[in-house]
Amino acid sequence: MRPEATYAVTSELVANVLSLAVAEGDEVDAGAEVALLESMKMEIPVLAEHPGTVVEVKVRPGDVVQDGEILCVIRRSGA
Amino acid sequence: MTHQPSAASAAASAAARPAIDRATDPRNPRLRLEAFFDDGSVELLSAEDNSGMLAARGLVRGRPVIAFASDATIMGGAMGVDGCAVICAAYQRALSDGVPIVGIWHSGGARLPEGVVSLHGVGEVFAIMTRASGKIPQISVVIGAAAGGAAYGPALTDIVVLAPEGRIFVTGPDVVRSVTGEAVDALRLGGPEPHGRRSGVVHVLADSTDDAFERGRQLCDLLGAQGELDLERVTDRDLAASFPESSKRAYDVHPLVSDVLDEDADRVELHERWAPNIVTTLGRMGGRTVGVIANNPMRLGGCLDSTSAEKASRFVRMCDAFGVPLVVIVDVPGYLPGVGQEWDGVVRRGAKLLHAFAEAVVPRVTLVTRKTYGGAYVAMNSRSLGATKVFAWPTAHVAVMGSVAAIRILHRRRLAEVPDAERAAVEQELAEEHDRLSGGLARAVEIGVVDEIVEPTVTRSALAEAIAQAPQRRGQHGNIPL
Repeated sequence: MRPEATYAVTSELVANVLSLAVAEGDEVDAGAEVALLESMKMEIPVLAEHPGTVVEVKVRPGDVVQDGEILCVIRRSGA
Repeated sequence: MTHQPSAASAAASAAARPAIDRATDPRNPRLRLEAFFDDGSVELLSAEDNSGMLAARGLVRGRPVIAFASDATIMGGAMGVDGCAVICAAYQRALSDGVPIVGIWHSGGARLPEGVVSLHGVGEVFAIMTRASGKIPQISVVIGAAAGGAAYGPALTDIVVLAPEGRIFVTGPDVVRSVTGEAVDALRLGGPEPHGRRSGVVHVLADSTDDAFERGRQLCDLLGAQGELDLERVTDRDLAASFPESSKRAYDVHPLVSDVLDEDADRVELHERWAPNIVTTLGRMGGRTVGVIANNPMRLGGCLDSTSAEKASRFVRMCDAFGVPLVVIVDVPGYLPGVGQEWDGVVRRGAKLLHAFAEAVVPRVTLVTRKTYGGAYVAMNSRSLGATKVFAWPTAHVAVMGSVAAIRILHRRRLAEVPDAERAAVEQELAEEHDRLSGGLARAVEIGVVDEIVEPTVTRSALAEAIAQAPQRRGQHGNIPL
């Protein structure tokens, strides 16, 4: 089965977006920080699962995101 | 007139074909058992016949283990009365020898042509697995389909390892499609991704069939040959070296878990991708098998939630049943709040963790690295639940909640009257005062909920000594798949 060409980086929990580490068009490696969230008094980095190019950023610093909400969309390298 | 082969030659080729096929067919259970055990150590315990199952005694790193394997060359490995009897006899032998038992699964489930009698046989397998639960380690290595009855066999055992070709489901894609209309293939229904990440059915995802056998062997060794804790072999290192400077910053706990364990020994993380906010790993400390449970701040901030509580409680109970000491590494902001959590039974499933720890009689040592708050403080092997010893690093916070959160509740009215511009400063002042009054870590030591403050550079030996000094007991209970 061919992997999907793009994948979404989502928030695992209700959180405030503290900062974004990427912008549209940026190349990211697997494990690269995409965003920094604040929840449960913790600053939680959200990482890219696979390498690729950021095609869309859906949130801004200060936004409140819900559990499962998409932070950004990444096109996988080679896809 | 066409040529007719003689009856004699037809009979000869029919007899010869299975013999030739079986010798080279990779699904031949004898080849699979030989691949699993130490070279040349396999001693068959059942006949190579049409039962659909083959059992053997062999060695894993020189120690005896019993194993059985589905014969997928016959009816897709389906389980009939005779095959089930082979498994039951293998269990009797493993129980009487007191050794681990391993099931190598590749089976479509109960044999349809046999009717309900095959279901009865499968049920007897489930019953003996349950009777053996907590007495001998039971490990399942699923290398092909494991459907229906063959799915619940592995599910009743202590640890399930899945090879890339392994598929586990109660009802296959065809039945799912005809009943619910959902179009799904076997991979997406019961392959490594769903069972590794979503269902929690599988504990270990292997990279290949050989890797699945190797993981099964490591687990036999870790649970079956636990060894003695040799304090001479426990060297110290700075466990805080990989920690971020900011106490609010999340980090991946895996390097710390790794540093706590012996570096030259096997380790197997269970449920690596399922409920990743808690890490459960079997490894060794001073040569002795231990189980490590650690909150992982990188995922969900390290919060406990319903799934992670359930994952940890099963691990605690398994370790207790087999006499494996526990090291509990705590950095937890609390239970994850939310409607979803409450409706998902965080109260019921969280209670399992309280029960599991409070019940456990193995040495179980707690280390608070940064913080432990509220209900999660109690659940993470606190003094109140009977921890053998509770250590904390000098900068750790032990409290009902973070001090800012606490003063926001305690001083709600007063803070409401403070202008927005001044609120942060006032909150900070109140939080410092709250810390002074509640006493923080010093108070926790004074009242005995923390036994000792320990520097990260000597923590490893402190944990090992606490385990070595405790009575080495083992829980008297089964390991129900919670």
